[in-house]
Amino acid sequence: MTAIILDGIVLGLQFGLLAAGLTLVYGLGGVLNLAFGEMAVITAMVVLFAMEAGVPAAPAVGLGLVAGGLLGLVFDLTILRPVYRRKHEARVLLSLLLTLGVAFMVEGLLNWRYPLKALSLQIGGGAIEILGVPMRRGSLLASAITLVALGGLFLFFRSTALGRAIRSVIEDEEGAQLVGIDPHLMLRLILILSGVLAALVAVTRSMVTPVNVKAGFGITVFALIVTVVGGLGTVSGAFLAGVILGVVSSIAASYIGTFLSLVILLMAAALTILIRPSGLLGVRE
Amino acid sequence: MSSRLTRATGTSLIGVAERRSSRSLLAMLAPIALVAAALALVPLWLGGSRVMMGVALLGLAFAGYAIGFNLIFGSTGQLFLCVGALAGVAGYGGAILADRGGLPILVSILLATLAAGLVGGLLSWIAVRRSLGVIFTGIITLIFSLTFENLLFGLGQLTGGEAGFQISSGAGTFLRELTPGYYLMLALVVLFLVVHGLLRRSHIGWGFRALRDDGVAAELTGVNVARYRVYAALIGAAMLGLAGATYAFTRGRISPTTFGFTQVDVVVLVMLAFGGIGSLLGPILGAVTFTAINEVLIGFGELRLLAYGALIIILFLWIPRGVIPTLGGLWRRRPSSSVDPPDDTPAPARREPG
Amino acid sequence: MLEVSRIYAGYQGNDVVHDVSFHVEEGEAVMIIGSNGAGKTTLFRTMCGLLAASSGKVRFRGEEIAGLPAQHIVRRGIGFVPAERHLFPRMTVQENLSLGAYPKRPDPETMSVVIDLFPRLAERRRQRAGTMSGGEQQMLAVGRALMSRPRLLVLDEPTTGLAPKLAHEAYEALQVLRRQGLTLLVAEQQVPLAMAFCDRGYVLENGFVRLEGSSQQLAADPRVRTAYLGVT
Repeated sequence: MTAIILDGIVLGLQFGLLAAGLTLVYGLGGVLNLAFGEMAVITAMVVLFAMEAGVPAAPAVGLGLVAGGLLGLVFDLTILRPVYRRKHEARVLLSLLLTLGVAFMVEGLLNWRYPLKALSLQIGGGAIEILGVPMRRGSLLASAITLVALGGLFLFFRSTALGRAIRSVIEDEEGAQLVGIDPHLMLRLILILSGVLAALVAVTRSMVTPVNVKAGFGITVFALIVTVVGGLGTVSGAFLAGVILGVVSSIAASYIGTFLSLVILLMAAALTILIRPSGLLGVRE
Repeated sequence: MSSRLTRATGTSLIGVAERRSSRSLLAMLAPIALVAAALALVPLWLGGSRVMMGVALLGLAFAGYAIGFNLIFGSTGQLFLCVGALAGVAGYGGAILADRGGLPILVSILLATLAAGLVGGLLSWIAVRRSLGVIFTGIITLIFSLTFENLLFGLGQLTGGEAGFQISSGAGTFLRELTPGYYLMLALVVLFLVVHGLLRRSHIGWGFRALRDDGVAAELTGVNVARYRVYAALIGAAMLGLAGATYAFTRGRISPTTFGFTQVDVVVLVMLAFGGIGSLLGPILGAVTFTAINEVLIGFGELRLLAYGALIIILFLWIPRGVIPTLGGLWRRRPSSSVDPPDDTPAPARREPG
Repeated sequence: MLEVSRIYAGYQGNDVVHDVSFHVEEGEAVMIIGSNGAGKTTLFRTMCGLLAASSGKVRFRGEEIAGLPAQHIVRRGIGFVPAERHLFPRMTVQENLSLGAYPKRPDPETMSVVIDLFPRLAERRRQRAGTMSGGEQQMLAVGRALMSRPRLLVLDEPTTGLAPKLAHEAYEALQVLRRQGLTLLVAEQQVPLAMAFCDRGYVLENGFVRLEGSSQQLAADPRVRTAYLGVT
């Protein structure tokens, strides 16, 4: 049982990281970024090409993270310009459609040009025992990195002035304006951050299973579901939802197999959304 | 809403219902008949090639899907991202009832259609009860789509899992021959168009327009928003089911990819981007256009997705009413033509609040 | 200090405020009075950059600020306490106040001034803003606006929902601020309170400025007495 739960936590941390970037962008800017998975795939390709060109793993990963940040910035400067002119529901819908279009374009291009590429970061060495359960190094490293990222995000938002400023925009956009905070600038920073998080998702996931060019849609869908269950705009909600769904899925998988356990996970998510649409830690509108 | 109608007819709201009766029944049926006639000629042109007829048949199935989705989303603004799944409920349901349950094909199709309709109605009812907005309705229906797909994989014993289901019922009958199958699908599509057209002209259609234009005002004037939403979902989902089940029996084999989200829902969205959301003929024009363009571009493989993505962006940014309605609008605005505004009204998705 | 000229503003193409002009000199306390729907909130939101004016000008200390977004206007020295307060509900009192000073770090001296003014806020330093009572939230909103040491403080209906005792306390606090040199512009429905506090005022009705004058003049005006002071 411990093994199952630990597997669930590893999976759940992945889910949480997936959702973190998406939830921040939605919570802050009311923008739904359905191209999130593709962003992760693009950064995976950047890391892959760097490594194929001879760059060692660690700097290649760094390059991927930078690429992610740049992607976020590019998004803000281009595709999201028209989205910002709308408000509330119109903004969400337009962002949904436009980012969906971008996702198609990226998926089409990558699948056509590099259909067989996949990023896989092998972490050498034997299994390490945690609580008596042998865990693969790759999974452990991925989880450790995710936890560090989570901790970093937490510290950033609690203890830095910039982090608080960003939180304030999520809390009350007009209130933030009234204390001199520019919501668009904050959104730009968050988009850059979400790009870096997308890269982190790709990198940590590649330590567990290969990330190929078709992975984008799955990443986006899971990110979306965990985001909604956890609550929009809250990173802690994303991780809480992620871990809960991860553990549920892992337990279910051990009894009834992968596909049906996914069904259980989806049903659990749907139930949470229906009972509490604002999410586990979300704010009731 | 009343101002729009007043502009169109020059009279008050009261006289509209009566004036719309017999004169415009013909006006509604004529274009449908025209399109049906044009499509009926297709086998004469493509009948020689099995592959091309298969494409045409699939195109019609998608037209059916697009009409159903158009009814649900275009009329009542419910973003049902489960078109493929609803069609699949009937597709797989009908196949299982016929092959494993031994029921006659017609009965299987009818029961399957009913099931799909009920599921659609249920989803809508849930969304209404929990006051889910457009986005959350989309998410919940997306979850339904994914659940359905995973159930297909997971219940392999029943559904054939990833490999799919070879449907033995109906093998060797006219259903499996492409040309009769094509005409059957065409008959269904025409049926759907007529049903949609009649709905639009009925009091239900009035309710749809009211609720789409301003849900709050509609509710205040006694329009039971919940009821109309569920009606639209029931009928639309039944259309999806009927098209899906019929397609399943004409094709003879189904698999999860026949009714998958990326294979169906995405395509339907692109079709409606072409043809316009909310109008009567939009879906079928979009379906035909897309099927044709898709075939022409088949050599480009995955690169087509690039084109469709770009198209979605261009469309929703600059031509939100759909390519064909916009072109039609430009045509109508030629100096010699009359000034009647087109009947298709934009879906709530593109209307800016406030 | 503040000069508003011929402002037209509204929503969705319909103007709610028509041809409104007024001014506030340094050191003054000016009121805008009017009943619900008169357009006070629309006027203030336009002035402070939360709403775009259809036409008109706003000059603050010699500079044009009409059309600038709120975050820029605020940085020029105007503090705005809106009717809905717009606090950050899940953040603590401490965090709300600190953010008031953005982008600068919260100045301890300013902080102690605010705490002196509103001692209750000190007790609730770590409490989440959303869980406080209406009166405390109002204090927090004013305190937050003060953290950036504005030259002009604009308050939209600061006493709405406050018990009379708290409303008086609020104006007493504002009085203290006046003596420290702060210029004040207040929109009020509770006319007697505002009148006792302010030097001058404007009466807004249906989006138009109907009357203006010193507090004494307005208090003596029979139309004002009937409509706003309840005298028959």
